[in-house]
Amino acid sequence: MVETTGSGTTSDSETYGLTPEAPDFAFDPGDPWTRTFQMGLERANLQGKTVYEVGIGTGINAAFVLRMCGVSRVFGSDLDPRLVELAERNIHSLSPEHAEQFQPVKGAVSLVDTEEARAKISQTDVVIACLPQVGDPRDSRLAAFREAQSVPLASGADERAEDHIAHYYPWAMFDEYPFNAVGLGLNEALLRRIRKHAPKAEVVMNFGCRIGTDIIFDFFRANGFEPEKLASQMVRQDAGTDISFFVALEKALTGTGLEKEFVCEFFADEEGDMPLSACEAQNLSEQNPDVALYHEVCVIRGRPTGA
Amino acid sequence: MHVSNTINCSGLSTAPTVLRIKQALIGLPDSKLPLSVLVDSECDCARLVNSLGSTAGDVYLASDIRQIPAYLSAEAQRSDRSADTIHRVS
Repeated sequence: MVETTGSGTTSDSETYGLTPEAPDFAFDPGDPWTRTFQMGLERANLQGKTVYEVGIGTGINAAFVLRMCGVSRVFGSDLDPRLVELAERNIHSLSPEHAEQFQPVKGAVSLVDTEEARAKISQTDVVIACLPQVGDPRDSRLAAFREAQSVPLASGADERAEDHIAHYYPWAMFDEYPFNAVGLGLNEALLRRIRKHAPKAEVVMNFGCRIGTDIIFDFFRANGFEPEKLASQMVRQDAGTDISFFVALEKALTGTGLEKEFVCEFFADEEGDMPLSACEAQNLSEQNPDVALYHEVCVIRGRPTGA
Repeated sequence: MHVSNTINCSGLSTAPTVLRIKQALIGLPDSKLPLSVLVDSECDCARLVNSLGSTAGDVYLASDIRQIPAYLSAEAQRSDRSADTIHRVS
């Protein structure tokens, strides 16, 4: 059962009594994406399991699954080495009775690409992650693709915010992965590593569904996981996240006869009754930079096939 | 800017395959053409070619990695490549 519950104006800290330390370089734990993710985690039957969070951030999700989902142990790592230290502090302050059950993998860890991370992932039952799905606007190959479609970068999109790596990934670096074409290269790299180092582990991942849910389900199946949607919520498009990538995808299909097979899924209303393509969404945004645009965020569980 | 002339489109339906091909062709010099594209065996190649229009001539479609020229040349040197690593042999 999947519920759509609006844009999530109640922060996680209000809902669960958790108020983490959240400096500017960390993804905002009060963002509705976090609430959606936690709705899915609640439904993922994590009781007694060992969980590894790739991209631990503030540690709010680790604290949540320790307090609310009864997990036995949580591993966590992050590309930004400051974040795993922050997560450790937050878990100690938010859930001291569970602090011993959190085992950080320290240092800068890309996906699970260290010996310690691989050792821990091999002991993991469920990998959880919410990774960027938009290529870095400054990526030269991505810029060339965007320019070939005559899609300008939104004003300010090339400025690097403190929490930049929570929103964007180095697109060309992950181009060996087929689904990088639609912004899922980083996520696909993670699934490949999980299949290799923890072939029986499930995954629970949080996605923005701007490219549509069907293609995300294709992505799971192509990488050996059977997908199931656990939770869904309509959220407001982050004003600071550039959508020119999605516009370029749509425009690249112009004249191919496939225009209707790939249309991004934005909405003009919180209820999701007024769909917009990425091109339409960008046109509205250009007319009024403060216009409210929405898209679905969903939590998908992937169970390994043939495990 | 390094651009490979061999790409893996396994698992992609027709529309994202076209997107991936168009992305790969950008910045690829003529000397590196054709672009070798590994597709699923059930790929509707005729439809894919039709969708690519005039750029179809720059693309070589293969449903078996052993049909890809870069793979074949690499195989001559090393025999233990997997489909997952074709990007490295271009």
